[in-house]
Amino acid sequence: MTVGWLRQRERGSRIASRFMIWMALFVGRPATRALLYPICVYYLIFSKQACRAIRPYLIRALGGPISRRDLYRQYHCFASTLLDRVYLLAGQGNRFDIDIRGLDVLKDRVARGQGCILLGSHLGSFEIVRAIGLTQQDIEIKVLMYEQHTPMIRDLFRDLNPAVADAVIRTGSPNSMLRVKECLDRGGVVGILADRLLKQDQATACTFFGKLARFPAGTMWLASILKVPVILFFGLYRGGNRYEVHFELFAEEVTIDRRHRDREVQRWTQRYADRLEHHCRLAADNWFNFYDFWEEQR
Amino acid sequence: MSDVSSLEAEVAKLIVRTLTLKVDPAQIQPEEPLFGDGLGLDSIDALELSLAISQFYGHQIRSDDPDTVATFASLRSLCQSIEKHRTK
Repeated sequence: MTVGWLRQRERGSRIASRFMIWMALFVGRPATRALLYPICVYYLIFSKQACRAIRPYLIRALGGPISRRDLYRQYHCFASTLLDRVYLLAGQGNRFDIDIRGLDVLKDRVARGQGCILLGSHLGSFEIVRAIGLTQQDIEIKVLMYEQHTPMIRDLFRDLNPAVADAVIRTGSPNSMLRVKECLDRGGVVGILADRLLKQDQATACTFFGKLARFPAGTMWLASILKVPVILFFGLYRGGNRYEVHFELFAEEVTIDRRHRDREVQRWTQRYADRLEHHCRLAADNWFNFYDFWEEQR
Repeated sequence: MSDVSSLEAEVAKLIVRTLTLKVDPAQIQPEEPLFGDGLGLDSIDALELSLAISQFYGHQIRSDDPDTVATFASLRSLCQSIEKHRTK
């Protein structure tokens, strides 16, 4: 089994990225953002594979034929959020204008010391969660992720903020999920991005924009074992320095009967896919899964 | 085939029951890897298993224990850990 996005290596050299970080922090955001224009045009011309891969998504999300301009917007949105991660990690979250919706669903539970799963995606920025004032209350936020695919980016961001590197729980070790459980037991929040299927993941097929796509099956199963509230999170980038952050209660508890595990996992994951699709329509250019999501091109 | 202790037989049954595996507990080799190539368990299985072990033997397996990965290596290593730390 091959999964598209793993095949696409991260482009760009370490030196260029370091230069961009230096620019971002010491020259400023407007000048660095100006550089994103030629960079995005470069990728638009030379990363044919990613362009081809994202096309079916854009056609579905925008509901019609797409232009190069739509593709460009996709790249520019991605590059902007990547650049903003530098500021978020450098502790400059206050420079962003963030429209926060539904934060109470998380805040209330966290204030009661109840651990929560924050169910995110690769639509928009997850990192923006660090800028919404939750962290000021000393709430532990960890993110469960498969990290090996981006060693360069990981190292760069680790240099910027080692504490954030500690906030990552890497999947793949027998004790990964024990760490998740322990964080939740301490009243912490664990972020899981539930839209990207990894090679080792079991999959469940869900309708997404009218066509079946494979989603990881483990997320809902894990949630059912952990028995904590699950809250959806979407950090949408809205241009300039604006973000729009949505919190939605997904379930007080995901309950799955083991005897009907596959069917119930599918049902819960479909609910997630539906909400993801809803937010994709609100911010189509925020989709950062630059691979063949429906596996149509093999 | 190496000898199977009574605890190993008991824990093998617990593993199969907890994770509803479609294998005969007696077929689980004590030295066989539990994860990956052997029994093919994953990290969510490890969490379920550790919850069951905590419930039945009163031994809480913790992620910050440097021995945790070694504990989950095989049925035998898991049983050694239970033997050492069990409270019931």
